[in-house]
Amino acid sequence: MPQVKIIAKNFMDMVASLPAMKLDQLYENAFICEAILRSLPPLAKKFVLQMLYIDAPVSATSMEEWVLPDGVSKYKVAVDRLIQLRVFIETADRKRETTYRLNPMFQANLQKLLIHGEVLAREPMPSNITVRLPSLEELEAYALDQWECFLLQLINSGQAEKPSNISSSVMKVFQKGLLSQRDKEAPRLTESGFQFLLMETNAQLWYIIREYISNSEERGVDPADLISFLLELSFHVTGEAYDIDTLTEEQRYAIKDLADLGLVKLQQGRKDSWFIPTKLATNLSMSLADSSSRKQGFVVVETNFRMYAYSSSKLHCEILRLFSRIEYQLPNLIVAAITKESLYNAFKNGITADQIVTFLQQNAHPRVAERIPSVPENVTDQIRLWESDLNRVDITPAHFYDEFPSREVFEAACDYAREWNGLLWEDSKNMRLVVKADIHTHMREHLRRQK
Amino acid sequence: MASAPSKLYADDVSLLVVLLDTNPFFWSTSSLPFSKFLSHVLAFLNSILVLNQLNEVVVIGTGYASCKYLYNSSSYSNHGLEDGRMPALCTRLLKNLEEFVIGDEQSIKEDPRGGTMSSLLSGSLSMALCHIQKVFRSGSLHPQPRILCLQGSPDGPEQYVAIMNAIFSAQRSMVPIDSCYIGSHNSAFLQQASYITGGVYLKPQQMDGLFQYLSTVFATDLHSRTFLQLPKSVGVDFRASCFCHKKTIDMGYVCSVCLSIFCKHHKKCSTCGSVFGETPVELDSVSKQKRKTPE
Repeated sequence: MPQVKIIAKNFMDMVASLPAMKLDQLYENAFICEAILRSLPPLAKKFVLQMLYIDAPVSATSMEEWVLPDGVSKYKVAVDRLIQLRVFIETADRKRETTYRLNPMFQANLQKLLIHGEVLAREPMPSNITVRLPSLEELEAYALDQWECFLLQLINSGQAEKPSNISSSVMKVFQKGLLSQRDKEAPRLTESGFQFLLMETNAQLWYIIREYISNSEERGVDPADLISFLLELSFHVTGEAYDIDTLTEEQRYAIKDLADLGLVKLQQGRKDSWFIPTKLATNLSMSLADSSSRKQGFVVVETNFRMYAYSSSKLHCEILRLFSRIEYQLPNLIVAAITKESLYNAFKNGITADQIVTFLQQNAHPRVAERIPSVPENVTDQIRLWESDLNRVDITPAHFYDEFPSREVFEAACDYAREWNGLLWEDSKNMRLVVKADIHTHMREHLRRQK
Repeated sequence: MASAPSKLYADDVSLLVVLLDTNPFFWSTSSLPFSKFLSHVLAFLNSILVLNQLNEVVVIGTGYASCKYLYNSSSYSNHGLEDGRMPALCTRLLKNLEEFVIGDEQSIKEDPRGGTMSSLLSGSLSMALCHIQKVFRSGSLHPQPRILCLQGSPDGPEQYVAIMNAIFSAQRSMVPIDSCYIGSHNSAFLQQASYITGGVYLKPQQMDGLFQYLSTVFATDLHSRTFLQLPKSVGVDFRASCFCHKKTIDMGYVCSVCLSIFCKHHKKCSTCGSVFGETPVELDSVSKQKRKTPE
């Protein structure tokens, strides 16, 4: 199995990796506090709420009493996360006991939030200024359209109809890692590029946003500012119009990029201009697990390896082309066949059978999605079989030992390797053995001790 | 790469149905003023909504003679300020609450139940369960529901059958009933409700710290309850009310066919119509021990 290179980590992991100074600065914004709180594991949320009105530090031992014996590991995870995010501040008191207290800024902001409710930095614009706002359906269609257009451009398929105005340097950043370009050849998708295309929209969005933020310093934008703006944006109401003049210079610059990604829709009235957040933006602060924005599926796979995709999207066509042979295309239907050749091609590009099967299952047409299994078993089995055909040889990095001084040392070494579950091969006649590379250091220690 | 189909809802997404006791007879005698109580509860409701954006809160008012939906977080957005001062939750809830209390007072005048000071818990429990059933049927994706009774007024023995039925249907649909009892004596109904449905029963000692009680105990989502120490019930009053005079009794007669409970011997069961045999000699020799102690 190839290593998966793209980890669709969420926003909060990125926030957690910021330096302490920056984090404290971020917590001055009440929305970030709320978004951080929501991203925490359930038990951690509970602790924060419980500590919210306790001003004195609470000792670790008394906190441990809150949980049942079964929950100790969960408790550890929760507290570690809280410390990592600097929501909890760890101190040692006179008796050298560890105590925790909430970050004062965070605490004050949350207290305010509970009593006064959420206060957005800007109010929606009155409807008499904003003429003809798009309906929620239109807005969602717009967001997906925009996103698709962006993806097409990203994979350089040359099929994108309207060029977006994302500067080519920013585009290059996004493409880094997803495309590889050798001299004078057309850029090709890399392994992770293929995997990227098969991910869910939300996961893809994360990847792009992460790249966008980590690259922001090169563009002269403070990543912390960008993060706080994005999080704040996620608390705006979908479909409402907000005045663009309320944004700062940098934010106005960023929102143009976001509009190209489909996170917001920009509109212009006679005098004012405004932005309308789409569902993509409001889902931003959610963790990946909560993606309630599941799209409707469109793929029907038949037992004869034929695939019908009810879609007019060029992106879908491109994605299907990754692992199947497109036979013909009708205005609303793509007919393709899964063949051995097309799959071998996909495997060669680093796509795994599991990814293909997951993709087919997740995008199953509603008609077949209710059926179990939604993709015929003979097809999924065959896809896996064809993959295992290619992996008849397993490669394990290993080390070879020979010239043992005595049989005892050899036997002991074999037993030792077995204990570590790392013995791959032994030849007792000639006293030779092969162990896995990851226990090589232990093995060396062991043999040195024998001397 | 996740090969398993990704879950759409996290473990801790919850639907909290709060039954708010607004019985004027209780609040006029309570040591904790209603306004103070409300401010604790409002902060608590806000905190539930802050914890997860998919969390839902429904508030049902339990009046003396009527019940009403006061607030449903899924039908309004919690954003923005309404009259520039208070968050949407407070404004909506307080407005509905005021209307409800006035309406309830009206119905007290029209139909005085006389004697009892209890509020209509059976009605609001049933409403909560109906709402939860509706959520269950809305699709395969729904938050985990639980009910929280914020009750102060004493039990009304005449509601025994209705409340028990509600408790059992909550048990069947695996909905825990938490109860926070702020009255002076323990409530047998709520103790039983929490005991049977696996909820938490708590009688706070310090009324000033009500928010801390609420956030520590009742804000816990069902998923986290498996890891946390929560208050355990010390003893549950399992006494039943008789079907004939609605009195709470220690000992009584039980119909062998339908298990109806009576405080006096009857010739015929009023519920199922079975005819009983001759009058027994002594009450003690035939009566069934009704009081049980758990564990």
